[in-house]
Amino acid sequence: MDLDTFLLSFAVIACIYMACNIGANDVANAMGTSVGSKSLTFRQAILIAAVAEFVGAFFVGGEVSNTIRKGMLDPLMFEAVPYHLVYGMISALVAAALWLHIASYLGWPVSTTHSIVGGVVGFGVIAGGMDVINWGKIGMVVLSWVVSPVMGGLFAFLLFKFISKAVFGKRTPLIYAKNLLPYMVFFVFVILTNAMVYKGLKNLHMDLSFTRALVISLMVGALTFIITKYLARKIPYNPSWDLKKQFHETENVFKYLQILTAFYVAFAHGSNDVANAVGPLAAVVAILKDGQVHMNVPMPTWILGLGGGFIVFGLMVWGAKVMATIGEKITELTPSRGFAATFGAATVVLICSKMGLPISTTHTLVGSVIGVGLARGLPTLNLGIIRMIAISWISTIPFTAVISMLCFKIFLVFLP
Amino acid sequence: MRSFLSMFAKSPFKPLASHMDKVRACVEQVKPLFDALDKKDYDSVQKISELIVKLEHEADIIKDNIRIHMRQSMFLPVDKKDFMRLLSAQDDIADAVEDLAVLLRIKNLDTPDEIRSSLKELVAHIVETAHMGCDLISELEALLEASFGGAEAEKVEKATQELGTAEWEADRKQFALAKKLFSLGDDLAAADLLLWNEVIKKLGAVADKTEQIGKTLRMFLSQ
Repeated sequence: MDLDTFLLSFAVIACIYMACNIGANDVANAMGTSVGSKSLTFRQAILIAAVAEFVGAFFVGGEVSNTIRKGMLDPLMFEAVPYHLVYGMISALVAAALWLHIASYLGWPVSTTHSIVGGVVGFGVIAGGMDVINWGKIGMVVLSWVVSPVMGGLFAFLLFKFISKAVFGKRTPLIYAKNLLPYMVFFVFVILTNAMVYKGLKNLHMDLSFTRALVISLMVGALTFIITKYLARKIPYNPSWDLKKQFHETENVFKYLQILTAFYVAFAHGSNDVANAVGPLAAVVAILKDGQVHMNVPMPTWILGLGGGFIVFGLMVWGAKVMATIGEKITELTPSRGFAATFGAATVVLICSKMGLPISTTHTLVGSVIGVGLARGLPTLNLGIIRMIAISWISTIPFTAVISMLCFKIFLVFLP
Repeated sequence: MRSFLSMFAKSPFKPLASHMDKVRACVEQVKPLFDALDKKDYDSVQKISELIVKLEHEADIIKDNIRIHMRQSMFLPVDKKDFMRLLSAQDDIADAVEDLAVLLRIKNLDTPDEIRSSLKELVAHIVETAHMGCDLISELEALLEASFGGAEAEKVEKATQELGTAEWEADRKQFALAKKLFSLGDDLAAADLLLWNEVIKKLGAVADKTEQIGKTLRMFLSQ
């Protein structure tokens, strides 16, 4: 086996390992609230997650990939030694995947994005010293530790306040829920469609301008609005039902919204996080092709398919285990609360990933759950867990950086 | 599972409601207790009294469990102090009922004819008042669902006012009964007078503690 084949195989395996870990580690984040509130059984959740993650990764995932590689360090400094970038990218993948593996074993909710950022920083420092790292970008990552939970929290807080005033505060909450349902569905579909067609779908050569994307998404939204309006009429209502019974039935209405949101958040996650696995591989493939470092690396469709495919594989094989226990452990969550938290988080993640910000789905969800709690939506929250979460956030970048440095050093010893 | 989903802790409102179920079970024994006393069926008084003591003990176990699991790091939609105050108020009702049960076992009390009808009335009213308190706690689940606002909050607010009125009425009935008791003068043995006076005071205490539930719930609403 020649060196190039060896490196390519190594990179592909590292990418697969990373993708599997992303799937195993993050599926609970995307689908956990839906299973916890009994809107979905864990099998249904796995199925929806598999479809949505793949669609998100394959159709929208290419967009985020570039920022991961280009943002953190300048690839052109490797012009003289292109293979060092290959070693580095493989090191970063290995370090990030290893950290995710350890974290999911320990049950720490770490960010896949930040894991890969740490990996890139690690080999970057060894290869070119402190100066090659774009510390501004790293600062953005640190800033996102604060920004993403706050944004997620604010969004979920406002959304839940609105729901509790507009639906649960009424004398006939079920009627208000039935009336509100089509508007909510409209809103969800407009954002979802827009995320897909605006700057997305590059693989299908269908990327559209913002205006055209907006027109299309509004049309899709309007269509779903009409369908939902028709379907909502069929939801049974009896004026003799007391408030308790109506609350119960209203929560059933929110189940539909939550299932939609579960799809949405898995989609957002797939589109955002697949880059962490496939971005480095795409860089490796481009260099091995002609031995040169390129500023703009194309994202081959087969790589996106590989990343998306193995995220699904990881979530089905290892993520399913985690999911199976959630339904029994979380008993206090209702669909309306789950909807507010996940919808809030997913929207923030989608907006940020469109802006190229390295934001973490996990961090955003932590914030949005607290947001719903602050809006007096949850019977109790365990805030003791936050300290542990914060420690695992802060330790991610240093850990993956050090592992990546070691891997890179080993490469340099054996393949100078 | 220790991902962000570990933030969803077990709700203390459910054990609070189970605690209230035990309190309700205690309260439900008050009328049979006084009926048995009225009929001079002292065996039944003994039995019912023992049952109440047992129920109160079961309530205590639930209460202690809630207290143990109430951690500093738990975030509730209500002030934690108010929550504990509500639990104490519930527990005080069970305690008062238990005290009643024990008082009636000290000696075989005879019910004087002069206070019979007023006593019956007071007991019925106290039991009704205590049930109003229990019903308020059953609204907690819906109140949580409504985030302590809106139509459900108005409903609870109204119920707390009705509870306040019922307590005021209980005070009045208690005073009237005490007046009748002390007007008996030398017709009643000093020991009986002392015991009956304690019994009336404890009956009043049940209503007082129940009103505390309404007051605390109103604190939940005003946050």
